[in-house]
Amino acid sequence: MKPSYIQITPNLGELLWKLPPSDELLALQLAYMDFLQTDWADELHSLRLGFTRISLQWKSSISQEKFNRLVPNHQMSPKPLSKKVWEIPVCYALELGEDLNELAKEKHMSVEELITLHTSPTYRIHFFGFLPGFFYLNGLHPLLHAPRKPIPRLSVPSGSVAIGGSQTGIYPRESPGGWHLIGQSPVVLFDPQRSSPVWAKSGDQVKFMPIDLAKFQSWSYDIPTFYLS
Amino acid sequence: MNLSLGKARIVFTAPGTSIQDLGRHHVASIGIPSAGVMDQKSYAWANHVLQNEENAAVLEISQPGLTLVFDYPTELSFAGAKVQIFLNGEAYNSGNTLLIQAEDEVKLGKFYSGRWLYMGIKSGFATEKFYESRSDFPFISRKFYRETGDYLPYLPINDSPQRNASPKWNTSWYEDEVIVAYRGPDWSLLNGELQQQLLKGTFRISTQSNRMGIQLEDLLPNTLPELPTNPVFPGTVQLSSGGKLIVLMRDAGVTGGYPRILQLSEDSISKIAQKRPGEVVRFHLE
Repeated sequence: MKPSYIQITPNLGELLWKLPPSDELLALQLAYMDFLQTDWADELHSLRLGFTRISLQWKSSISQEKFNRLVPNHQMSPKPLSKKVWEIPVCYALELGEDLNELAKEKHMSVEELITLHTSPTYRIHFFGFLPGFFYLNGLHPLLHAPRKPIPRLSVPSGSVAIGGSQTGIYPRESPGGWHLIGQSPVVLFDPQRSSPVWAKSGDQVKFMPIDLAKFQSWSYDIPTFYLS
Repeated sequence: MNLSLGKARIVFTAPGTSIQDLGRHHVASIGIPSAGVMDQKSYAWANHVLQNEENAAVLEISQPGLTLVFDYPTELSFAGAKVQIFLNGEAYNSGNTLLIQAEDEVKLGKFYSGRWLYMGIKSGFATEKFYESRSDFPFISRKFYRETGDYLPYLPINDSPQRNASPKWNTSWYEDEVIVAYRGPDWSLLNGELQQQLLKGTFRISTQSNRMGIQLEDLLPNTLPELPTNPVFPGTVQLSSGGKLIVLMRDAGVTGGYPRILQLSEDSISKIAQKRPGEVVRFHLE
């Protein structure tokens, strides 16, 4: 599972794996991230992680040339993934999951079945993107995959739990959005006032824990609890 | 040395005015976009003529009417869009820099060409930093953008500076149509015909363009799949399933799922930033 490296511009390139997103691939990517952050830190302007790539922004084209010569032959052992599982409370009430009924109908299942399918897996956090504090998860049950809505909503409330394509995620703040809304979480995903604005990391896991509307309304903890798997 | 801060009061501004520098680059890992000036080339000039540090904060302005009153002496510079400037009601059109006395009023008139004007100030605006940058960005900086009635702090000057005459700001570099681009990571998903259409065609800047991205009006119909979400940067050109070309700019999210077919050169990011809706570009492969 050696990656190849492509140079895009004199200062920008990408490590790429021709594999679908998985825990095994993430473990390799995180090993590369650690290696880059220690051995190449002085020559890198920034690093970005995606499902199947790592993008490298170089301070100079010379650094990129050097990397391109040395690294493709590098053999890297995967980094063991985190054992942390965050328990994220989600209220799947119809008032908060505006598309819950419609999506269940489209999928020929009951709302309860949909909630069960959404709450049973343990999802893996791969990286952050789209909005500050928005984590990309892998592990949505294929029965719940649903094309994005043809016309995006102009405003999706903060904390909304949603499904788009093969993805599920939580909107860290109010934003336009084209995903199907199935519930809402009372936790705070991004707080710029905190020294570390997000509590989760790439490689951590997430489990959705259903709560009722009364509990949602009285919820007073910004940060969810976790256990070790 | 006078260490108390001066203040520039915004007597009036239309939407689209913000404080910017080169942006924040160490927080992409938690999903924070870099932000920063749309046109780095003009920005560098605005700081250079004042002998400022290269990351000094400037005011980025996109509409006429901005009116500022300064309470202490300073020196301003202008670059980017070509704009009519009034000092205390009188047209000002000489030189790169403008000396300001206490209570002077600067007002912007018509935009003749270009989209973004950069107003530099001696030593840079001294607004608050968030994650090592003063760039305004929603939910990251305290101010999302700048409004009428706001105050902008700055360090006043005591002596009139001695300046060597520097060449006058020239806007011809952003006036031609050519946008230099490299093959994006997903370029090879385009068949030969689509590649030719992209390189031979002209594309009009649509009104759907802002600090996040610039949409092009002319479509490139395609059957490309949606891809696993991966990193994107300012200057990444995405091709949507509907055939829309979107040039991502400074406030764009750090990842995206559409095929990334081109990556603009740094200079061409600055150039396309200065294009107004209705203007036309063509891509030249580097």
